[in-house]
Amino acid sequence: MKTVAFASGKGGTGKTTMTALFAHLAARELRVAVADADVEASNLPLALHVENIACESFAGGLKYTIRPEACASCSLCVAACRFDAIERDGWGSYRVDRFACEGCGACAFACPHGAVATEPSTAGEACSGDGTVGPVAFGQLGPGQDLSGKLVTEVRRLAADAASRHAADVLLIDGPPGIGCPLIAAVSSVDILVAVTEPTVSGAHDLERLLAIAGRLKVPVRVVLNKSDLSDDGAERIRMLCISHGLPLLAEVPFEPALAALLAGLAESGTDVSFEQTSAGVVVAAAWRALAGELTRANGDDAPIAG
Amino acid sequence: MPGRMVMAIASGKGGTGKTLVATNVAVLAAAQGYRVLLADCDVEAPNDHLFLDRTVESASPVEVPVAEVDASACTSCGRCRDACAYGAVRLLGGSAIVFEELCHGCGLCTDVCDEGAMHESLRRVGEVVSGPVRDRPGLSLITGTLGVGQVKSPALIRAVRAAASTFDADLVVLDAPPGVACSAVAAVRGADALLLVTEPTEFGLHDLELSVTLGHDLALTMAVLVNRDGMGGVDVARACEGWSVPVVGRLPFDRRIAEVYAHGGIVADGMPEVARALSSLPDVMRGLAARRRGGR
Repeated sequence: MKTVAFASGKGGTGKTTMTALFAHLAARELRVAVADADVEASNLPLALHVENIACESFAGGLKYTIRPEACASCSLCVAACRFDAIERDGWGSYRVDRFACEGCGACAFACPHGAVATEPSTAGEACSGDGTVGPVAFGQLGPGQDLSGKLVTEVRRLAADAASRHAADVLLIDGPPGIGCPLIAAVSSVDILVAVTEPTVSGAHDLERLLAIAGRLKVPVRVVLNKSDLSDDGAERIRMLCISHGLPLLAEVPFEPALAALLAGLAESGTDVSFEQTSAGVVVAAAWRALAGELTRANGDDAPIAG
Repeated sequence: MPGRMVMAIASGKGGTGKTLVATNVAVLAAAQGYRVLLADCDVEAPNDHLFLDRTVESASPVEVPVAEVDASACTSCGRCRDACAYGAVRLLGGSAIVFEELCHGCGLCTDVCDEGAMHESLRRVGEVVSGPVRDRPGLSLITGTLGVGQVKSPALIRAVRAAASTFDADLVVLDAPPGVACSAVAAVRGADALLLVTEPTEFGLHDLELSVTLGHDLALTMAVLVNRDGMGGVDVARACEGWSVPVVGRLPFDRRIAEVYAHGGIVADGMPEVARALSSLPDVMRGLAARRRGGR
């Protein structure tokens, strides 16, 4: 099985839309599985009409609280905490700010009165279900939680299981924005990373940072320039950036609201909708053909993955 | 503007226009005579400096402590491993070893080690750069940039916030990263008001609801700005009414805005209608925050 991840550095360049469109195209000739690795803002399930969803809770670290009846207000916990997470509650006792607490337990170790209590916590959930194109795995992190990288890894594990049960030829991963921990978890060891960018100064800046991290992870990159007709200079900047990095530009997709309508139609009625109804759709379909060809070559053997 | 106000700009979904709104609000407030500090807390993809010509006055590395083992003193007792909440310490070949990416720098392993085999050293995770913006009197910009391959975004965001807190300004605008996890929390926590930027699409609304939940949990005064109004058919205002969060502004779905933004321009400079929609936002947010305080 081949794995393709979509990422961008900058948010809102069209990762989810591209992942969903590519998934529909791939599903016309291959067995497909999909993972939404943006666990902070999981939108792919909205685009792929997922049913029969089963979720399991994703355990967080320990939740720390201070029992006022045991607290002697000695403030040793405050001194031990590196995250400024313990504050006076106004009654002479102390309390833990759950949004600042990173769950290290230094306060419990420092407290001579045994006043720090712990309980297990839930950081979010990891889910899988049946989408129009095949199995879809996704997750949702609870607000303010700090384990997005770990949850991404869990979603990838669920996706790999589902893909193997489904005998999938290809797994498509919708990545998170940024270049930090969740992104690294989402794109590590994939066969191809499709960088979805836009012709803006921000798009170019964040693409360069994405390329730097992809280089460190030794993941091959292909670029899709989305909303390509928004700025001629901006598009030229992305083209030059691709040339200077020796990167193939897979497609230049013009900005057309009809593309969102195409995606909505696909989610509604599955495979019957034609990509030919919009010129952006034609470009995306051609990009998939090129990518499928790349995957075949990346295979290193003569088993064609597509076509 | 009476008294200092810290206004955070955030969104669950990426690419809704946080940077556009943050840079333009900051420029407009400075043009009204306020001393304004824009703090770019989107440290994984910091872009505010692409729109503002900043003179770099200071650039300082941000370093965080990570645990280190003196293998010659380590007895492999496992106490550090058992204490570490992050699984960052393992035992291997008769000694503890530390996985730096997992270490949160809490210091607990050092505290629990009886052999004095654990200590800490500093690792650079990124840098904070600041300085005044040329041709925009009264406006300064602080940027946090995460080093490529680094994973400790929240620590860097806290460093940006700390630098911003010492800055003498009437208005501090915090440009937050997308999402609702610890990075977003580090960027918006303790702000006087939180402006959520969304777009009227199904994706935008889904992620806005997550942000509103986070804002409620953090007990922040919130309001919503609808960007690309007219792009999707989703009724953001009705959803916001259900959450009791006011919609305080709209920017139209207009190709000209996208084109100016694409070039790294300040949209409000050439489009008075955009300037009108954004220039009163700090005062509106201040009013909301004051009313909420008064109502308590």
